[in-house]
Amino acid sequence: MQKFIFSFFVVAITLLNSSWVNAAADLDVNTPAISALKSSMQARHAQLAPHYASGAIGLTKDGLIAVRDATALPLKDRQGINALVAAENSDRSLLYKEIAAGNGHPEWQGEVRNTFAGRWIDKAQSGWYFQQDGGWVKK
Amino acid sequence: MPRQLSILLVVWLSIVCQHAYAISAIKIQVGEVNAPAGQLKNAQFQVDLKGIAPALKLHAEVKPINEKAFIPFDLNCGQFNTDKIGQIDCLDGHFTAKQVKAPFSIHFVSVPNDFSADILFNAASFSDESGLHAGENLTGQMKLAAKSVNNTWQWNGLISWTKGELFWQPFYFGKAGNLFEINGTFKSPILNIENASLMVNEVGKMTSSAQINTQTKTVEDIKVSAKDVDFAGLYSVFLKPMVEKSVFGNLDVSGKADWQFEIKNLEPRSFELNLRDANVDDKNGKFAFKHMNAHLPWDYDNAKTININYKSGHLLKMPLGDTNLNAEINRYSFVSPQLTLPILDGALNLSDVSAAMIADNWYWHLRMNLTPISMTDFSTAMGWPKMQGKISGQVPLVTYAGKQLSMDGAMTFNVFNGTIGMDNLKIEDPLGVVPRLNADLLMRNLDLGELTRTFSFGDIEGKLDGDVKNMVLENWKPVHLDAYIHTSEGKHLKKISQRAVENITALGGEGAAAAVQRTFLRFFKEFNYDKIGLSCKLRQDICEMGGVESTPTGYIIVKGKGIPSVNVNGFTQRVSLEDLLGRIKRITASNTKMIVK
Repeated sequence: MQKFIFSFFVVAITLLNSSWVNAAADLDVNTPAISALKSSMQARHAQLAPHYASGAIGLTKDGLIAVRDATALPLKDRQGINALVAAENSDRSLLYKEIAAGNGHPEWQGEVRNTFAGRWIDKAQSGWYFQQDGGWVKK
Repeated sequence: MPRQLSILLVVWLSIVCQHAYAISAIKIQVGEVNAPAGQLKNAQFQVDLKGIAPALKLHAEVKPINEKAFIPFDLNCGQFNTDKIGQIDCLDGHFTAKQVKAPFSIHFVSVPNDFSADILFNAASFSDESGLHAGENLTGQMKLAAKSVNNTWQWNGLISWTKGELFWQPFYFGKAGNLFEINGTFKSPILNIENASLMVNEVGKMTSSAQINTQTKTVEDIKVSAKDVDFAGLYSVFLKPMVEKSVFGNLDVSGKADWQFEIKNLEPRSFELNLRDANVDDKNGKFAFKHMNAHLPWDYDNAKTININYKSGHLLKMPLGDTNLNAEINRYSFVSPQLTLPILDGALNLSDVSAAMIADNWYWHLRMNLTPISMTDFSTAMGWPKMQGKISGQVPLVTYAGKQLSMDGAMTFNVFNGTIGMDNLKIEDPLGVVPRLNADLLMRNLDLGELTRTFSFGDIEGKLDGDVKNMVLENWKPVHLDAYIHTSEGKHLKKISQRAVENITALGGEGAAAAVQRTFLRFFKEFNYDKIGLSCKLRQDICEMGGVESTPTGYIIVKGKGIPSVNVNGFTQRVSLEDLLGRIKRITASNTKMIVK
């Protein structure tokens, strides 16, 4: 189920056209790199999903994720959370870079990131946290 | 500034009417106390004298010196006993504060400059504000005794828990059954742990000593030693948190280990890890080592020799044989004249190996020489179609810097009675999520007979040359290349079977045209040819195809010769690589006709 929600999430985001590119950028562009990154993120999502729901982690305004409240995590997950978040952020940053490169415009990376940041938040489930004006907001 | 104490004390005694002058409760309110360790305010202290033993309730707000805000807390004792001077017993106690719930009992004895406390806790939970030091459902015992001699406290303590879990960043003790016995001294601000004996469940017995600055909250010096402990427990509790973000952060391990390290003045001074009959398996499938014995010492001041041996394993699915490696490690650099990694019946020999860690990143270079490995065994081990021949090669220089591996000089694979050379190899982030490989391939005199039999393509006799320039693989899949494979120059047998013709036709896709005079040709199983050639200019998923010659409508893939002769023409010039690979997989029948001249 989590896998399905994640896939829906990614597809929904990537299918939506962004405003900056005048329909030039294809957010759904697929390359082996993007496909590897999506698989890696999808595999990790099962581990992250309960932590979004508990509010332990939240979506940042720059298209990444961050630990919001470690006390919301089960003790056993506190040790690995920083590495998990770092790995997810590394994949997300690479994803934005690869989508821009896949469109033949590496310089679009910043815009791809901004568009994704907004879409992740738009598509976040109710109860998840996201960053706004320097603070955390519960959706 | 002199110590300022301002205490507002209100005491009133409640007198119960049944017994004149009998006291049923004592209540004390304290407005504010300022002490060097912090502040206390709004304290309400009540002793209830109605039961067999007095009960105590305390509510107050406390602000330790390092905290920003007052923290309210409640302390209740169901049975409170102070029969003897200097002795306090609190049974059926309960301590509650923000993020702390601790049912407990305490036996406290104090004489001037000497005290001892014996605390039993039951299903206690606590956490600091950040959640980085926390325990849940802890049931166990804590003992502490201290004596002040010449302004120095000499103390010893014991903590054990039989239920519950504890997280003390970065360490997580998920299994109960842990016993820590410690002793030392305290002279503000230095807490000196002279000797700690730690029995950690699933790990074994460890000893430690440490010096902690309680003012800066830093562990200035620490020594830890563990002999013959369980490697799986040692890895999951102590080592994994330290290497979490490296390639060693997600392992399945087993075996026995000795471990010790020393940090002095916040700097690592020495480290040693010995492994006995250990198995190490990367959960991401990048590498594994079986029956591994290792001696991995490190010292800040002295060079050390490290030794690793394992019976088998794999690296990026490349099977590794019985291996013994030695190298010298000198602070943050690492050198070895020769490292031999046996792979099946050959070996990868690394020489003049030198590596250094600079600003948390590894940089290394080496020479590489591959002694011949049987392709039959190698292809079987990799799950490829069974191939004949040998791989061997020599690389003058391999460097790794900034997560990029690059090779100066060509690597040659002697396969299919010919050679495949690999040049200008660069791999970005080889162990990462998106490894990206750049290389050029040079194929010469490949035996088409062997090649086509290996891949069940239908027999073709002849020799094949090929050049693949500017090849880029992302996650080991091609996304960019300029390839042209064609019949080698020179005299050699050139025969193509009818099945191979059909398969090549199928490769050309819907647009490939052919015409067969079946009535005549079906009696021939093979044909002569002059040239075979196919080119692909790949950009992302689109391959722009060509052949040995162009025609007004396409290109020639097989140019026939003699009688009977067969030509295979291709018409589809742009084809999706995914489709092309799909066709190669499905290659069983032609869907078009052959042209026969």
